[in-house]
Amino acid sequence: MTTIAHATIAMERTYAASAARVFAAWSDVEARKRWSAPADNIRIEYKAADFREGGKDVSRCIEPDNADYVATVTYIDIRKDHRIVFAEDVVHGNTRVSAALISMELTPKGAETRLALTMQIASFDEAGMEAGYQFGWNAALDNLAKEFVQ
Amino acid sequence: MSKRTATHATFVIEREYPHPLAKVFAAFADPKSKAKWFVGPENWEKSNHQLDFRVGGKESVSGGPPGGTVHSYNGTIWDIVENERIVLAYDMHLDEQRISVSLATTEIKPTPTGAHLIYTEQGVYLDGYDDAGQREEGTQQLLSQLGAFLNT
Repeated sequence: MTTIAHATIAMERTYAASAARVFAAWSDVEARKRWSAPADNIRIEYKAADFREGGKDVSRCIEPDNADYVATVTYIDIRKDHRIVFAEDVVHGNTRVSAALISMELTPKGAETRLALTMQIASFDEAGMEAGYQFGWNAALDNLAKEFVQ
Repeated sequence: MSKRTATHATFVIEREYPHPLAKVFAAFADPKSKAKWFVGPENWEKSNHQLDFRVGGKESVSGGPPGGTVHSYNGTIWDIVENERIVLAYDMHLDEQRISVSLATTEIKPTPTGAHLIYTEQGVYLDGYDDAGQREEGTQQLLSQLGAFLNT
């Protein structure tokens, strides 16, 4: 009997950049490759990237011990400079370990931009992927700030 | 309604059906069966339900009051464990307007007298067109229709 752990994780950051610049760091796969790896010893490789409603990204996250996770993203709702909503599933080995609905919203605050990230997750490996999302996205959102250093 | 908003909410509905697990699962997996209960209110114009029940397969249905707003559902199946669970992501449109995106998990567990269904919907409601309360009400209605279908 499998058990599914449902969770919602919300994160916020404020970046010293316009909403257009923050949005571009998400829409441009080359930028995403720079900031989305949560640690220096974790590599992200993209097999496909298609940033449009209905488009898919397929990426591999490779950890130092060579364990890898393959994430497939489908973009569902894109409002330029405002928000991105996408569904993502993650496969580890031959096992699908989670499905998630993720939304990213941008709100201008003067010269800065507030980013709100909400992850609604169904984990199939007890709560393992919930912890993975918490760790991975916290680090990635911190990295994202480096994109805007002049 | 030009303001961009996104409201997140989760609701859970549990039902007991006095039917074997496999029969309840088949009501989701068999397109002909699902088309019988996964429909809008009786007075709505009938819509064309499509279901390709496999991981990566699509499901769609649309309908609405005669001459009124068309409600469109478009889903993609992300995970299937036979007789245990179905995970899909779907969006809803009112005419051309996307109003929500949801991750919907259906779990079915055996009980001594039948099947226990747990439906969890993790949704984001966009730009103020819909909310979790209305969605939960609509889903309650669908799961009641499922119960009636299983009893036929």
